Amino acid sequence: MDKFLLKMIYAVLKGWLYKTGADAEQMNRIVATKLIMDRRRVNFNWKQKAQKEDTNHMLRVQFMYALFGFFVGMVLLAIPNFIFAYIIFHAYIFFMMSMTLITDFSSIMLDTTDTQIIGPRPVNSRTLFMARLVHILIYIFQLTLALTIIPLGIIFFKMGVFVGLASILTLLLTVLLAVFFTYLLYLFLMRITSEQKIKDVITYFQIFMTIFFALGYQLLPRFINFEDLDSSFTLHWYSWLLPPVWMAMTLDAIHQQLFDPTHLMMIGLAIFVPVFFFWILTKYLAPYFAKKLAATGQDNTAPVAMATIDGKKKSKPYAAIWSEWVCVNIQEKAAFLATWRITARDKSFKLKAYPSLAYIIIFVFIFVFRSGKPIAEYWQELPTTRTFLWFIYMPVISAGSLLTLATYSEQYMASWIYYASPLKTPGLLISGALKSLIVKFFVPIYLLLFAFSYYIWGFAIVDDFILGLVNNICLFFLFARFQSHYLPFSKEPNAKEQSGRFITVMVQLFLVAVLTGLHYLAAAYFEWIIYVMILPVAFSIWALMRYFEKMKWSEVVV
Amino acid sequence: MTVITLSSLRKQYSGNYVLKGINLSFEPGQIVGYIGPNGAGKSTTIKILTGILPDFEGEATVLGMDIRKEAMEIKKRIGYIPEQAALYDVLTPLEFLEFIGSLYSISKADVQRKSMELLRLFELHNQAENRMNSFSKGMKQKVLLISGLLHNPEIIFLDEPLSGLDANAVILVKEILQQLKQAGKTIFYSSHIMDVVEKISDRIVIINKGEVIADGTFESLKNSAHQGSLENIFTSLTGNDEQKSTAGAFIDVLKNG
Repeated sequence: MDKFLLKMIYAVLKGWLYKTGADAEQMNRIVATKLIMDRRRVNFNWKQKAQKEDTNHMLRVQFMYALFGFFVGMVLLAIPNFIFAYIIFHAYIFFMMSMTLITDFSSIMLDTTDTQIIGPRPVNSRTLFMARLVHILIYIFQLTLALTIIPLGIIFFKMGVFVGLASILTLLLTVLLAVFFTYLLYLFLMRITSEQKIKDVITYFQIFMTIFFALGYQLLPRFINFEDLDSSFTLHWYSWLLPPVWMAMTLDAIHQQLFDPTHLMMIGLAIFVPVFFFWILTKYLAPYFAKKLAATGQDNTAPVAMATIDGKKKSKPYAAIWSEWVCVNIQEKAAFLATWRITARDKSFKLKAYPSLAYIIIFVFIFVFRSGKPIAEYWQELPTTRTFLWFIYMPVISAGSLLTLATYSEQYMASWIYYASPLKTPGLLISGALKSLIVKFFVPIYLLLFAFSYYIWGFAIVDDFILGLVNNICLFFLFARFQSHYLPFSKEPNAKEQSGRFITVMVQLFLVAVLTGLHYLAAAYFEWIIYVMILPVAFSIWALMRYFEKMKWSEVVV
Repeated sequence: MTVITLSSLRKQYSGNYVLKGINLSFEPGQIVGYIGPNGAGKSTTIKILTGILPDFEGEATVLGMDIRKEAMEIKKRIGYIPEQAALYDVLTPLEFLEFIGSLYSISKADVQRKSMELLRLFELHNQAENRMNSFSKGMKQKVLLISGLLHNPEIIFLDEPLSGLDANAVILVKEILQQLKQAGKTIFYSSHIMDVVEKISDRIVIINKGEVIADGTFESLKNSAHQGSLENIFTSLTGNDEQKSTAGAFIDVLKNG
């Protein structure tokens, strides 16, 4: 598919490319090579001997997008107001495209290895830029196709050929706009921050995207009431600034065969603005962007780095104070602090950890508000229920996934230091990491949920939350106890050891459910048990901690 | 006839000058050793000469052409072998070389034939169809060397070309450089390994903090600095001959710390 697209583009644009000063043949080769590399880069596992081309990843993403496209198609069918429906449709395409561009294609847009590898070859900057653009466009086209094929089918079927054809055009124009705005965003980021910072910002975009999808998928159907959108559409002054409105109005004009001044102006905006922006992009922004990028690739001179270290004061020793509190000796403290810092800075950890923490909110919503009642009514009844038990035991499920995450690292090789050190009980490293995860991730979330619950239920739940705290910590250590004992950040990310993962999660869920059930019974009938239980559970925590502290090399998975 | 001329070449990164007026010119058929401590401006010079860094101050010509104006023409006739194995390692050596060859408009058949032969000479022909992400640093370096020489350039810029190579490969590459020189090519060689530079260079240029501080044959440097080896000359010139006392302090910290 991608190769076919490249051939098409090459055939169509060849003449024009040579006219603008780009070398079409070189561009063709560069893009072809990049496409090969993209296929291989994803899912590549160095242990894997076979070298078959793997298109699974791309196909999977396209399938996902097609599925979303199906939902959007349903929305198109469900909203009776034509203009509203198409505004939502185009806005959705615009949002998806710019988000995908910002997150997935950051590697293409910010690729500085090109400067090293293609820079010294006789390739002019226009060719390189066109190669990048075509590369991105091919992917955008594939994704656009996946996103829009079902809705387009619905449009053709419901609205006829003319609206269908016109909507192909408006979709392409929307995609052009998304490309333009992504470039603008990148240029803006590059102006205000360094390359490393940009990568951080993009990580947060990715985290946001993941959370958005998970949340949106769960919550939107519960909140959207399509009947409300039946009201007639009125143009406000700001409607003129919103591209999806232009597109929807363009389609409306064709749908109604109505070409009054308003519609004609909208059509003009819909076609003229994206084309104009695209012209600015190729003419001015892209060369400027390439220049900026070349500069960032070089900008690793020592003096600058030194200045920042000198200029920056040491951050508050918040983690250090905690480590004094909860760690038994200097080795455990070291593991505690290392875990604290790595989890704060490692991109791939953050990328996986934050969405899994965000799932706490999602779970809470699903379990708490799963009844069909309106939220306001439910809110009124909340204090009479024992829903707070969900708040108590939900965090540990998500926190449990951090356990596995904290054993992975892209720099897993750095764990040689553990094996080279004269450490008698490597379990200290694990217990240090566990404590770090509890203090850093679990405790704040738990406190937050406690504060929320206190606001609703009042003082009566304090004892429940105290028992909940020890129970949670005990569970957390238990999960760790029955997991393979890897040293922190010592495992290669791609290693295929996920097979037992599902069972583990099921067992964890079962344990949490049982505990929640017991706690419920106790809270309902034997309030005194709650106080009695705190001590033995605390003792179990102590015993589990001792277990880790004494763990020998033979018990650790190397 | 000169192949490279630099006159008052200056380069700044946000106000910091990393090159502070370099004046040099080189004859064809020479191996030039270009050395200096970390951050002296070696790589920057090479990046300017190979046209990767277009904005600089002063004049620079390569093969009689102005770098600012005729970068494309220059790039066709020079070869550059960057440091730290910069290549697309998800490709196979053959694919990578085909790709690079096509950027110089060498026909696919030619590239394939040449690449296979060169890979065979480097004993990599068995690996020609394997992806390079499993390669050792030395193997990648060999592919990189081939990729920089494939189009038979007139000037060759090398940035630490021997890193990761085993002893036999080092000897082979040194011999290749010698023979390229005899064929009239100019070789611009930047490295930290002083013994190699001392042995193969016809001319040695030492830069420090963006300025040329020594320039000449090894013999002339030896005479003017009254030192035996290039290593000694280098440390005495770059103003850093306190290594002995620094090492002493280092050991003291270990003992007392």
